[in-house]
Amino acid sequence: MDFVPHDNKTITEMLSVIGISNLEELFHDIPKELILETLNIPQGLSEPDLLHRMEEISRKNKIYSNSFLGAGCYYHYIPSIVNFVISRSEFYTSYTPYQAEASQGYLQAIYEYQTIISRLTQMDVANASMYDGSTALAEAAIMATLITNKKSIILLEGIHPEYVEVVKTYCWGRNINTEITKENILLDQLHEDVAAVLFQSPNFYGDIEDVSKLVKKIKEKLPGCLVIQVMTDPTCLGILKPPGALDIDIFVSEGQSFGINPSFGGPGLGIFTAKQKYLRKIPGRLIGKTKEIEGSQEGFILTLQAREQHIRRDKASSNICTNQALCSLAALTYLLAMGKTGLREIATQNLQKAHFLKKEITKIPGYKILNKKPTYNEFLVECPNINSFISECKKLDLLPPLRMSKYYPEMQNVALVCVTEVNSRESINLLTQAAKIASDNSVEGDLNKI
Amino acid sequence: MNYEFPSDLMYATSHEWVRIEDSAAIVGITDYAQHQLGDVVFVELPNIGMVFEKENNAGEIESVKTVGDLIMPLSGEIIEINKQLDGSPELVNNSPYDKGWMMKIKISHPNEIDELMSVEKYKELVKSEEQ
Amino acid sequence: MWRVILIKSNLIFEKGTDEELHNYVPDLDIKVVDLQEIVPNNFLREDIPIPNIPEVEIVRHFVNLSQKNYGVDTGIYPLGSCTMKYNPKINEVVERLQGFTQAHPLQEDNQGSIHVLYDISKLLGEITGMNGFTLQPAAGAHGELAGLLIIKKYFESKGIAKHKIIIPDSAHGTNPASAKMAGFSIIELNSNEHGEVPLDHLEYAMTEGDVAGIMLTNPNTLGIFDRQIKEITRIVHDNGGLCYYDGANLNPILGICRPKDMGFDIVHLNLHKTFSTPHGGGGPGSGPIGVIDELTPFLPEPCIISTEKGLICRESNNNSIGRIKAFWGNFGVIIRAYAYILALGAEGLKKVGQMSVLNANYLRVLLRKKFFAPFDRICQHEFVISDRNLPNGVTAEDIAKRILDYGIYAPTMYFPLVVQGVLMIEPTETESKASMDYFSDVMEKIYKEAISDPKVVKTAPHNTPIKRLDAVLAARKPVLHD
Repeated sequence: MDFVPHDNKTITEMLSVIGISNLEELFHDIPKELILETLNIPQGLSEPDLLHRMEEISRKNKIYSNSFLGAGCYYHYIPSIVNFVISRSEFYTSYTPYQAEASQGYLQAIYEYQTIISRLTQMDVANASMYDGSTALAEAAIMATLITNKKSIILLEGIHPEYVEVVKTYCWGRNINTEITKENILLDQLHEDVAAVLFQSPNFYGDIEDVSKLVKKIKEKLPGCLVIQVMTDPTCLGILKPPGALDIDIFVSEGQSFGINPSFGGPGLGIFTAKQKYLRKIPGRLIGKTKEIEGSQEGFILTLQAREQHIRRDKASSNICTNQALCSLAALTYLLAMGKTGLREIATQNLQKAHFLKKEITKIPGYKILNKKPTYNEFLVECPNINSFISECKKLDLLPPLRMSKYYPEMQNVALVCVTEVNSRESINLLTQAAKIASDNSVEGDLNKI
Repeated sequence: MNYEFPSDLMYATSHEWVRIEDSAAIVGITDYAQHQLGDVVFVELPNIGMVFEKENNAGEIESVKTVGDLIMPLSGEIIEINKQLDGSPELVNNSPYDKGWMMKIKISHPNEIDELMSVEKYKELVKSEEQ
Repeated sequence: MWRVILIKSNLIFEKGTDEELHNYVPDLDIKVVDLQEIVPNNFLREDIPIPNIPEVEIVRHFVNLSQKNYGVDTGIYPLGSCTMKYNPKINEVVERLQGFTQAHPLQEDNQGSIHVLYDISKLLGEITGMNGFTLQPAAGAHGELAGLLIIKKYFESKGIAKHKIIIPDSAHGTNPASAKMAGFSIIELNSNEHGEVPLDHLEYAMTEGDVAGIMLTNPNTLGIFDRQIKEITRIVHDNGGLCYYDGANLNPILGICRPKDMGFDIVHLNLHKTFSTPHGGGGPGSGPIGVIDELTPFLPEPCIISTEKGLICRESNNNSIGRIKAFWGNFGVIIRAYAYILALGAEGLKKVGQMSVLNANYLRVLLRKKFFAPFDRICQHEFVISDRNLPNGVTAEDIAKRILDYGIYAPTMYFPLVVQGVLMIEPTETESKASMDYFSDVMEKIYKEAISDPKVVKTAPHNTPIKRLDAVLAARKPVLHD
């Protein structure tokens, strides 16, 4: 395909205006020995051939009719209006709204996104987005060290293992110490140089923490220590108390659950919020409301840009430039479409359906729920024969739950099951069916060993 | 460009002004500096009690389009800061030598005062920077 | 669009009703229990302060907002260093194929997505000359951070302490910010009068010791290809440093030459610039990095590297810098870039290089009749003009705002910092001659206005839905949500 709108006549005309006779002269600054003959890449394809090829490749991914896999990326229903809005090309073919007067559309949309996130989380300030939940958490940790001037970060166990790795990488870059700790020894680990405690709730195992108690404990032991919460599925905010009501200093979350397809794990959306007092240390873009200089109309503009890399350069707290704007537009549309009623219902369904499945699975011999705390839409199940369970799921066209051994080798027989509002009663029945068959298989297996 | 440079003050090469009051020094940024920055939107001042050496970064002055460093013209301890700047950063632009003052330092090395510039020397510096 | 000016867009929240809408929630088909059985009461929230809004209101709201917004599909978008090229619509269709959108990053049966990651790594390797890639970084700046962390790890693995990175003054702001995030301090090199890196200063800076390497964009933000690029990379290598290539300006050399051949060790690419994926109003982007053989052990994981057995996907290795993002990368962006490369092929990619430079020079020659172009020679994909010779104190910002009145978007203002009062202009290869002629006419008109009626320029814009906004008020008294 060719998207260049010139014909040869035009090219010749333009060359003459420039004052050169051929295209090669345009590159005379490049040392001759660097000029390529040609790239070793196949010939280009026309649109139908391209589409055919891509469809073929896409079919090599197995897409199941139902899923019980979460672990940081979730299947939720996405209203059709979301795709409609993000397909408006005035939005998606634009760039960062530096010229505010010609970008009021997008600027207002991002301001509304900041507003809706702030209201949902009850946090004072929300920025325009970070790349995803994992990098948002890493940047929150760094922000805490810049605010407190301290160099240690404590991570409470239960944070998504990939998020932990990202935080460690970012902290290593800035020579910040990181330590992972269990809840029962958390208070002992809180020494003078700790800038913040990071925790996830609902956590990777599915547990909902008693956030209020946890925050109090930390702040009583070490006043001045920041408490940072991360979430991987914020649909729970439709029913759970928001972080702003629980004295959380910085709240970040993966926002993919708000209207963004799983899409093999990206793009996602890094939701980033904080208390008002930390405003000037917040990374990323911020949209503010203001007035015309000569006039009375209100409008929207990129503000507090002096925090950002394009002005502050090496003194900026973050290097972020391009973020996830279109994804925040998707999230805004999702949250607006759902409204308070829809959000509460979705959260309730996730809670109820997961609870229902927990009860059903417990009835099957050999299966044990490992969570001791309340859970949202994910939980851990010990299985009698996890390999059989996974393979039975696939036979019934179900995307199987996560093998915990992927991240925790010592948890060989444990599965992380995820149930959302899109899991019908029928699909839940199929999963229990798969579980039963696997349980019978394992009994047989045991019998065969005798 | 006509800037105001009071003759009873001393100046640093980093564009701070200094008013000596016994063993203390009041510090702010000059008319030239505020003009270069443009409309000031936020001033980050050090905490009272902090101790700095001469030429250390004590704070930052943010405008819409840039950030400037607030550099210590002398070594010492911060004993007072101008809290007015919190709600009214524009004082730095409108009244850089009076209401826009930034911090008061307890001077630890009085001999450093001799290293500051007189108003004439500072005027020369500004002239050369403008070219 | 007349409606746009007449109808004020209130915030969407004002369109809420009390009607409880259940449009997007499936039927609850299981037996429910009392919430107390599942979660303690004190964990629950009270109200959610988000209104319920009828679908038609949401649609109208966003359709109206979109009409107040300007994108590449609207007209020329000459933002320097952003490469605002046309975003092919077939890429949107490809990205939305169910086989791609419904794939979970942790599912085992993922041959389709993995094939894409392998194949694009191979293609990008051919385009840049690099041997190992990670597609994890979500943006150029993110790629820069990863690249700098690789440099850091490389020296750490050799037991050598290196704390500094050399960055020219023409560099994009993310360069020094990224270097800082990787724990380095910056040595800034001033470009010489040709807009190039002065070799003697470079040599001096390198021999000081403690320099891990250099970050360069070539061609740079002035649109200039540094003729001494091979000398530059040689000096850095001879003094034990590494060379990082900021690929934001790759467009003009696509199919023409390669960063590896220039002597670079690490490259990041901006798929949302060079490879036509939409800018999205500020993302999502994708900033893959490619490295030479010697540096592949340090790539973040997962990564695709070239071995004697062919391409392999490596997921864990002790020398890696670690993960920089969850999962594989911005797949939805990567798939669009992949489709673009397949659609263009070798010929098409080379044409991009040639035509982007042709367009930039054409526009430069038109504009320099009236505006001061500090580097008046053959440029690559972009060039800069300055407000230096403008009458009546008219500034670059005034020009930019007045351009909006003519229905087109303004170039990048005030960057690079090397030139005072600068406008950085990049038309890209997808701009027609007619479109560029119009842009040039507009600039000439504005120049004449600067002479005869400066007030209309200095108080611009006048024809946009909103007039010039008070940025000072927005920063002094920030109002960031309703």
